[in-house]
Amino acid sequence: MKFANFFGRQRSASTAHHRLQVLLMHERSAGGNPDLIPMMREDILAAIGKHITVDPEKVRLKIDRGETVSRLEIDIEIPTPIRQTLERRAVYLR
Amino acid sequence: MSTTRPSTSFKFRSGSFHALVVKPEIPIHAWFADIDGLLTRSPGFFAGKSVVIDVSGLTLTKPAFLGLLDELSKRDIRILGVEGANPSDLDGRVPSLARGPSQRPGVAEAPAAQTPAPPPVSSMLIDAPVRSGQLIVHPDGDVTIVGSVASGAEIVAAGSIHVYGTLRGRVLAGAYGNQRARIFCRRLDAELMAIDGRYIVADEIEPHLRKAPVQAWLEGDEFKIITMN
Amino acid sequence: MAQVVVVTSGKGGVGKTTSTAALGAALAREGERVAVIDFDVGLRNLDLVMGAERRVVFDLIHVVQGSARLSQALIRDKRIDTLFLLAASQTRDKESLSDDGVERVIRDLRPSFDWIICDSPAGIERGASLAMRHADLAVVVANAEVSSVRDSDRIIGLLDSTTDKAKRGEAIEKHLLLTRYDPIRAGRGEMLGVDDVLEILCIPLLGIIPESKDVLHASNMGSPVTLNNPASAAARAYEDAARRLKGQQVPLVVPSDKTTLFGKLLGRRAA
Repeated sequence: MKFANFFGRQRSASTAHHRLQVLLMHERSAGGNPDLIPMMREDILAAIGKHITVDPEKVRLKIDRGETVSRLEIDIEIPTPIRQTLERRAVYLR
Repeated sequence: MSTTRPSTSFKFRSGSFHALVVKPEIPIHAWFADIDGLLTRSPGFFAGKSVVIDVSGLTLTKPAFLGLLDELSKRDIRILGVEGANPSDLDGRVPSLARGPSQRPGVAEAPAAQTPAPPPVSSMLIDAPVRSGQLIVHPDGDVTIVGSVASGAEIVAAGSIHVYGTLRGRVLAGAYGNQRARIFCRRLDAELMAIDGRYIVADEIEPHLRKAPVQAWLEGDEFKIITMN
Repeated sequence: MAQVVVVTSGKGGVGKTTSTAALGAALAREGERVAVIDFDVGLRNLDLVMGAERRVVFDLIHVVQGSARLSQALIRDKRIDTLFLLAASQTRDKESLSDDGVERVIRDLRPSFDWIICDSPAGIERGASLAMRHADLAVVVANAEVSSVRDSDRIIGLLDSTTDKAKRGEAIEKHLLLTRYDPIRAGRGEMLGVDDVLEILCIPLLGIIPESKDVLHASNMGSPVTLNNPASAAARAYEDAARRLKGQQVPLVVPSDKTTLFGKLLGRRAA
C-alpha cells in the first residue's frame, strides 16, 4: 500500500495547475516579442565589446521564469591579463 | 540573417499522370442517380482523386455540358479535365485533355468485336506490404503483392492483381480495358474491388466471403467472387 | 556517434511526447548521452513534459536560423546530467524550419551524443517529415485502436519512402511501441489485441505500455514517468523498451489485469 503515492496524486494536479499559471503568464506577456532574449544578448555583447574583446561563444544566457520574479543569468568568460604579465616576467628571469 | 532570393526563370515541363476516367452515359440523370448510389455506399470514393470526364461519343449542347459540370461539383467531384469535348464548349472552366504517352493507342477505342486482351507486357512484384496512402499503378500487366494491402492503399493494374496476404484496401484490376483480369487474395477485407471499371464495395460483399481466400472475376457485367478453399 | 531515433505515430495524442521523454530519461539514467528534440513548430510540448518550460531561452528554429548556437540552446536536465533538451519554437511558422538547417543540427549533435531522439508532431506535414528525415531508427507509437493503427501504417509507408535512408536504398529500422494498452478492454474485445495490431502493421514490437495514471501524474509534475515513478508499471515497461532499443533481449510481458485484494480495497488496479 502506497499512501505516500495517494497523497502525491492529490498534489500533482495542483503542481500542474501552478506550473501552467506561471508559464502561461509568461507566454501571454512575451507573445508580442519572442526575440527579446536573443536581442538582449546581441545588445549585451555589443555593450561589453566596447570595453573588452569577448568571444561570443563565451557568453551564456540562462533563464528561470518564476511567479513573481524571473532570473536571467548572464555568464561571460573574460580572459584575465594577469597570466600574460607572469609569462613576461618568466622570460626576464631566464 | 537575411538572404535575397536569386531570380529564377519560370520553369515548366510536361508530365503524364494517372487519373480516374468516368464516362457519362445518357440519360444523364440516371447516370447521376448511379453516382449518388455509389456515394451513399462509399462516400469517400472520389475524395482526393483526380477525375477526368470522357464525353467523347456524347453530343452535348454547351448549356447541357456546363450543367453536367455543375452537377459534378455539387457532389464535390473535382474535375482535372475533360476528354473528347469541344474546347469552345468548356468556357474556360476546366482544361481540355489529351491522352498521355502511357496509353497504348487503340486499346481505349476497342470496338465491340471481340479482340482478346493483349497479353501482359510485364508483371510487377512487390515484396513487402503496401501501406496506407500508397498508390501502385502498373499499366502494363499483373501486379503481385507478397504481403498485405492496407486500408487506405490502392493498386491499379492493367492485368490481374494477386495479394498473398490480407486485402484491406482498394484494388482496380483490368483498369485499362481488360475485362478478363481477376483478383486473388488470401484474406478478403477489401474496401473496394473493381475489374475493368465494374466495382463492388465493402458492404456489398457477402458475409461468408469476408476473411476468406477468394478469387474474383467478371461474368458479363456481374462481379463473381468465390472462396478458394 | 549517435543513433538518431524518430518517435512518430501519425495520429495525435497517442503518446509520442510522453514516450520520447520516458525513453530519453531511461537511456540517460544508464549513463547514455541523450538529446531529445521537439520537432513541432508553433506548439511546444516536450519542454513541459520534461519540466523545463521555465528555462527555454533558445529553440530549434533559433539554432536553424543561426541566432543561437547549439550549446546555448540545449537545456541540461536538472536531474540527470547526460540528458539535454532542444525545445520547439512556440511562435514561428513551419516555413522557418529548413531542410538544410535541420540536417546541420543533427550533424552537429551526432559527435557529442549517444542518442538523438526526435519527437515528431502528429500528422504527415513538414514537422513530421523533417523529424523522420535523418533517422536511423523509428519508434512508431500506436494505440490498439483502428484510426491510430491506420495512421501508423501510413507513417510506416512514409518512413519507407521519404527518409534519407530509404532514398539511399537502406531499410530504416522500425519498431512498434503500443501505448495506453488497457488489458481489461482488450480482454472484452473492446480494444484491438496485440496480435491484431502486429498482423496489420508487420513491424517488430518494442514494448507494450499499459494505460496508467502515473503518466498523467508525471506530466503534471514535469518529470518523465521513468524518473517520477520508476516503480510504476508504465515506467518499468518503458525501461524494458529502452533496453530493447539498445539491443538487449528482454522478455515481453503483456500487461494483464491483476486485481489484488488491497487493490480492491483502495479501488485501484495494478497492471
